[in-house]
Amino acid sequence: MNGSKKVAKKNIAVYGIYAFADSHYYLSIPQMSELLKKTARFTNYVFLPTLIFIAWWFVTEHEYFPPVIMPSMKAVAASFLKQLESGQLSRDILVSLIRVAKGFSIAAALGISLGLLMGVSKTINRFFALPLNSIRQIPIIAWIPLVILWCGIGELSKVVIIVLGAFFPVLVNTVFGITQVPKDYIEVGRLFRISRWKMFTKIYLPSAIPAIFEGLKLGLSNSWMIVVAAEIIAASSGIGYRINDARSLMQSEVVIVGILIIGLIGLVLDQAFVWGAKLLTPWARTK
Amino acid sequence: MTKNKMSDTLIIKNVNKTFEVNRTKVEVLHHVDIEIRSGEFICIVGHSGCGKSTLLKIIAGLLECDSGSVILAGKARRGPDVDVGMIFQDHRLFPWLTIKENVALGLDNIPKDRRNRILSEYLALVNLTGFETAYPHQLSGGMAQRASMARSLVNNPKVLLLDEPFGALDALIRVQMQHEILRIWEKEKTTMILVTHDIDEALYLADRVVVMSSRPGAILDIFQVSLPRPRDRASASFLNLKAAIYAYFTPAGHPAESETARP
Repeated sequence: MNGSKKVAKKNIAVYGIYAFADSHYYLSIPQMSELLKKTARFTNYVFLPTLIFIAWWFVTEHEYFPPVIMPSMKAVAASFLKQLESGQLSRDILVSLIRVAKGFSIAAALGISLGLLMGVSKTINRFFALPLNSIRQIPIIAWIPLVILWCGIGELSKVVIIVLGAFFPVLVNTVFGITQVPKDYIEVGRLFRISRWKMFTKIYLPSAIPAIFEGLKLGLSNSWMIVVAAEIIAASSGIGYRINDARSLMQSEVVIVGILIIGLIGLVLDQAFVWGAKLLTPWARTK
Repeated sequence: MTKNKMSDTLIIKNVNKTFEVNRTKVEVLHHVDIEIRSGEFICIVGHSGCGKSTLLKIIAGLLECDSGSVILAGKARRGPDVDVGMIFQDHRLFPWLTIKENVALGLDNIPKDRRNRILSEYLALVNLTGFETAYPHQLSGGMAQRASMARSLVNNPKVLLLDEPFGALDALIRVQMQHEILRIWEKEKTTMILVTHDIDEALYLADRVVVMSSRPGAILDIFQVSLPRPRDRASASFLNLKAAIYAYFTPAGHPAESETARP
């Protein structure tokens, strides 16, 4: 009796060791450290956001501020669902996105074409450099009153303001992209006596594409920020209008929903651009 | 392929070049004079910055010399043209073009089928058949350099200039590339001028090895290498020549015993 108990105990102990040893077969040490690394990286990403949410929950739970000023997460979520159901949120977003699409595409077309011209021709560059560089220093917000005076408070003024805001980063990066083409490549072009047109399409343009994309990305995120600013100042629709309208009605949860959505859409636009750029420049992909 | 390059002698006549660096004049090339037969393989050895690359760029037409002239097949050269190709230490393929598009860079105004025939012929010559649609970053250093050779050779140049073409490759690939270049040279009969600071490489490849001094870059000596190819790098005559050339680069300058080492 006594002896068999001992054996059983020993078996359990042995089994335990085996179980432990077995896990090593399924997950080797390098694999485990890889998993740990991934977990650590993930934690690294989400740590601060989690902290912010906890702080938010804590502050609202104890009502350190009146709910009208600092709404709870629950109230914000409820407002989000309500706006989503009524279709108000998607209408607001759509209106703003259409404005961005119009303004940004005009700015991109203007910025790239003028940038290319200024990049290849020193004469054209000098002709435009002084006025463009001075205008560039003016904050876009400062244009809004003048644009409203000239174009009214309709759709046109919003598009014009977006064009102003998105044009310069596209222009500046395009010019930079063209002028920083490695001399080595130009030398090869000269060596093969390729035509000026081919020099442009085969050397200057592709070499400048990453910089142009960078400009477009900046321009797009500018457009998104500017449309919201313009809508806050003068509009009767759009996500910017919504948060300003909610502010006047003391609906802080609607304001916060709007702010979070603005941030989220900005992030999505930015990421979409990064992916698009990668897709269009297969040579830039690392091995 | 049938080419008549017998009269395509390259004459470098009293070429001088001075650069201005920080307001001081630096004489880079001083009275460089050499006549190169059609189909000859010339290697130029010298310290880095001795003006070897400048000389090649002048031959290519990428730079102008201050005085003197470069004459190919009886005509003075003015600017780059298809008669002279050049290969650099880095392959300088365009990363946004596929290998085939890169090699086709200099092929213009040629019917498509003929163009494709030329391209596949030269890709085969440099052993890159099957890599037409690859991008340069997918190739190894040696492969990229071979693609760069094909890019120059499709134009069927009379002279090919190689500016330390294997300098960025590791020692084993270097040896392999030296074989490649000899094979291509024997097949294409292109005049080759290769700049290197590897004396061994120069002796393995060249009909004549030109030794250049630095500041100013001037021709110190020209060694005729009449050893049959493929050359044995360990043979006595090879090593003797090597010692003789090395003597130019030892701190003492040009010791007397190297004179006896010359065949």
